[in-house]
Amino acid sequence: MQFPILSAILVTPLLGALLVLVIPREDVRTIRRVGVAFAVFSLVLATLLWIRVEQLGAGSLQLTERYSWIPAFDIWYSVGADGLSAPLIWLTALLMTLALFYSAHTVEERVKEYYLLFLLLETGLIGVFVALDLVLFYVFWEIGLVPMFLIIGIWGGKRRDYAAIKFFIYTLAGSVFALLAILAIYFNTGTFDIVELARLRPFARDLRWANLAFWGLWLAFAIKVPIFPLHTWLPDAHTEAPTAGSVMLAGVLLKLGAYGMLRIGLPLFPQMFRYYVVDVPILPVLALFSIVYGALVCLAQWDLKRLIAYSSVAHMGYFTLGLCATAVGGTATQAAAASALNGAVWQLFSHGIVTGGMFFLVGMLYERSHTRDLRAFGGLAGQMPVYYGLMLVLALASLGLPGLAGFWSEFFVFRGTAQLLPLAAYIGVLGIVFTAAYILWKVVQHLFLGSLDTTRWAHLPDLTWWEQLTVAPLVVLTVVLGLYPAPLLATFDAAVQTLLRTLF
Amino acid sequence: MLLDSALTLRTFASELVLLCTILLLLTGDLIFHPRDGRYCLGITLGGLLLAAVAALVFPPLEPGALLLAGLTPDTFTVVVKLLGFFFIALVALLAESEDCCRSQSTALYGALLLVAALVLSILGAASDLVLILLALDFLGVIAYIMTAYERVNPLASEAALKYFLYSATLSAVMLFGFSWLYGATGTTDLAGLHAFLDRGLTSSALPLHVAELEYVILPALIMAGAGFAMKLAAAPFHQWAPDAYQGAPTASAAFIAVIPKLAGLATLVRFTLTALPVATSAHGGDWQALLAALASITMIVGSLGALWQTDLKRLLAYSGVAQVGYLLIGVVVQSSTGVAALLFYLVAYGVASLGIFAAIIAVTGNSTPLSTKISAFAGLHQRAPWVAFSVLVSLLTLIGMPLTAGFLGKFWLFAGALEAGFPWLTVIAVLSNVVSIAYYWKIIHAMYFQQAHSDEPLRISPWLAAALGISVALVLLLGVFPPSGLWTLDFRF
Repeated sequence: MQFPILSAILVTPLLGALLVLVIPREDVRTIRRVGVAFAVFSLVLATLLWIRVEQLGAGSLQLTERYSWIPAFDIWYSVGADGLSAPLIWLTALLMTLALFYSAHTVEERVKEYYLLFLLLETGLIGVFVALDLVLFYVFWEIGLVPMFLIIGIWGGKRRDYAAIKFFIYTLAGSVFALLAILAIYFNTGTFDIVELARLRPFARDLRWANLAFWGLWLAFAIKVPIFPLHTWLPDAHTEAPTAGSVMLAGVLLKLGAYGMLRIGLPLFPQMFRYYVVDVPILPVLALFSIVYGALVCLAQWDLKRLIAYSSVAHMGYFTLGLCATAVGGTATQAAAASALNGAVWQLFSHGIVTGGMFFLVGMLYERSHTRDLRAFGGLAGQMPVYYGLMLVLALASLGLPGLAGFWSEFFVFRGTAQLLPLAAYIGVLGIVFTAAYILWKVVQHLFLGSLDTTRWAHLPDLTWWEQLTVAPLVVLTVVLGLYPAPLLATFDAAVQTLLRTLF
Repeated sequence: MLLDSALTLRTFASELVLLCTILLLLTGDLIFHPRDGRYCLGITLGGLLLAAVAALVFPPLEPGALLLAGLTPDTFTVVVKLLGFFFIALVALLAESEDCCRSQSTALYGALLLVAALVLSILGAASDLVLILLALDFLGVIAYIMTAYERVNPLASEAALKYFLYSATLSAVMLFGFSWLYGATGTTDLAGLHAFLDRGLTSSALPLHVAELEYVILPALIMAGAGFAMKLAAAPFHQWAPDAYQGAPTASAAFIAVIPKLAGLATLVRFTLTALPVATSAHGGDWQALLAALASITMIVGSLGALWQTDLKRLLAYSGVAQVGYLLIGVVVQSSTGVAALLFYLVAYGVASLGIFAAIIAVTGNSTPLSTKISAFAGLHQRAPWVAFSVLVSLLTLIGMPLTAGFLGKFWLFAGALEAGFPWLTVIAVLSNVVSIAYYWKIIHAMYFQQAHSDEPLRISPWLAAALGISVALVLLLGVFPPSGLWTLDFRF
């Protein structure tokens, strides 16, 4: 019997949380050490997992474990990982490690609960990426919700109450409809097994129920992604959350919705996707709205953290656009569909790294200056050269500069979309133009260029060693993946090709 | 003959145990005047435990073996008994920690609880309209007394009076409905009613034609339904609940939140599943649609009402209304699995509610003047982290978070409704569930996001700690590892 590495990854943060629970509240140092240590354990395991999945073949689900959980409902504890989920698990573990490391130096209030909740959150997030049973997927999906809700509500900014409850209600409203859809799918097919369902194609002949189930699932995923007009919880939650919370929100939580669409939505309902892209083009229109509207709001935004939050709406729009293009593809256009889907998946990973890093940097600036108003800054390039350098790399990656990680997602998405949905591609490219505008004008110019307000910022210190250490891995990854994307792309492509084979 | 009597007595072992315990408690109180309430609590809990054991050891007889009219003890009865005894034991723990429930005599309150347990165990077997009505009203009388237990509190008297008037009126309506059923069919026995309603048999004494029957049966069912709805605090007959919860001592409020709902649902389940025609028959859909409408109105009214509440107990009253709506889904689906789902969710709801009431006693129990505003929970997280955590778990299970019992209960109920062809009912339930976050959130917000009024740590009695611990443990345990035996229970009526 092989070592159950997936269960180990799920249990490790949970064990850490239990350990934190028994450490006395006053012993802050130990709590921090234990928290970071268990995050590192998870990262090590995630790395091993990724290596193992590569060895076994990233194209299919590996390291599967399957135990009956609730036999009466035919619910299974069924997990597995492939080239799609292994990198996302690794991303989660990496960001969690960095977030807890950073928090060890910044969070002084209620440290015990803080580490407890973050470790619980990690289990929930990774669980979504490994679940192969619809109910198990739903369970993990919801588990992450409560810790994040409390993280925003307890350690958040001034409007944390509002942001926390809005986040909670939006997500839960979406997911309860997904639950109904899951039940309906079960009564149609008699199974919760995601792999089996992709083969069975629930409601293949019953258009009415197919519609209901599709939209139920879509709603849950679209709220999380988020897709315009369901995105309004995002700017509030991201802005009010504490820095580490924003990083996890942008870096991983948004990916849950996207992953759901890739793992469940598209394989189960390809015909509905195609219908709502080709016959009634709602999905591409919403994707374009997310891209263009998100970018335009960024142009008008003066709060740096809110700006980056909105930029997530726009960037996840590229993912949705790529997904739409994939749904249109057929056997004749498989190359284009693969390109679009690869770009979409790449976006998940690169956006996690880039935007996660940017949220770290925004938090670091706020810690020093206690303001996020872009109009108050200027000329920080000379004052904080290291900060400038790190932020510049990430900002340019966000803009899609060739040679950095963000470029490849846009490149592949538009390469595929231009062939499959040309009109949408032409409109979507506008988003890139606007992105360049707000990154260069708002972030780079208003923060770093111009003259320094010496009365306020003359004593602003540059990043400390631990702050540099927090962001450095992300910046390095951004550059490395930008220059040499081939290995990660090969991993994604193996999973993407498998997915496409089940579709066409 | 003698053997028959012995057999009959054996079936009533748990009732006899309860009866003896009540006598022991009351006479002991008269003779010894025990200053220490712990003896009374011990006797109460011991009696309940013994009764539960008796109910398990002496399983119900084969159908038809019992010669007593109006009682049909079966598996369902045993489950209702066990649930009822368990809930009442928890209420006893709560009452032990509340001053006003001990002010006159602990034995008295304990005896009331035991009488309630006795009524519940008879009611779980009642299969006759008259007996159902009598048992429900008997339970009602106990509930009024418990509501008004704090004699000096004018709010309590007002609440009890309102509860009593409401209950008396709707019992009359219910009785009127039952009398129509009797008039039309000539029997009060549920099985007899079924034979008549299902096949449209006319009794010889009846001057009505079959075609006219519909005009008798439907109004009769509506009147009976109104009575059941009042006992359950289902909308639109729920208005007594917020006042009763608020005015009653907190332990009594906990009792009202759980026991009458258990009683009402148990009798309603037996009534609908035994007496009424199956849903697939000619007129079977009528009452099913009627109940579905009742469930959806209840969910909507409860959720919207709870949104505006600032008092903890009133909020719980309205949220309890919404929860009854979910529970009614289990009756609507009209199947053995529906009943099992209902009972499972009832455990989740009951245990969670009792946990929250225990926390209310812990926080506000002995403060003067008694205030149960939500702000009383402010900063509870700092003052008593474990109490706050257990309330959080209780609220999450009421919201239906996975890994808690409430999730599986709702999952099961919704699945039943979808299977029985009521997708719209599940949509209303789901929407009401989303709204419920908004009001349960107020409590979470107070506990975790607000500053405490005072820094001193909260001291709670061991009884409350036990009640809270049991509640949390059960909610999580049932949520993660639901006992597989539950699904094999077959509720046939």
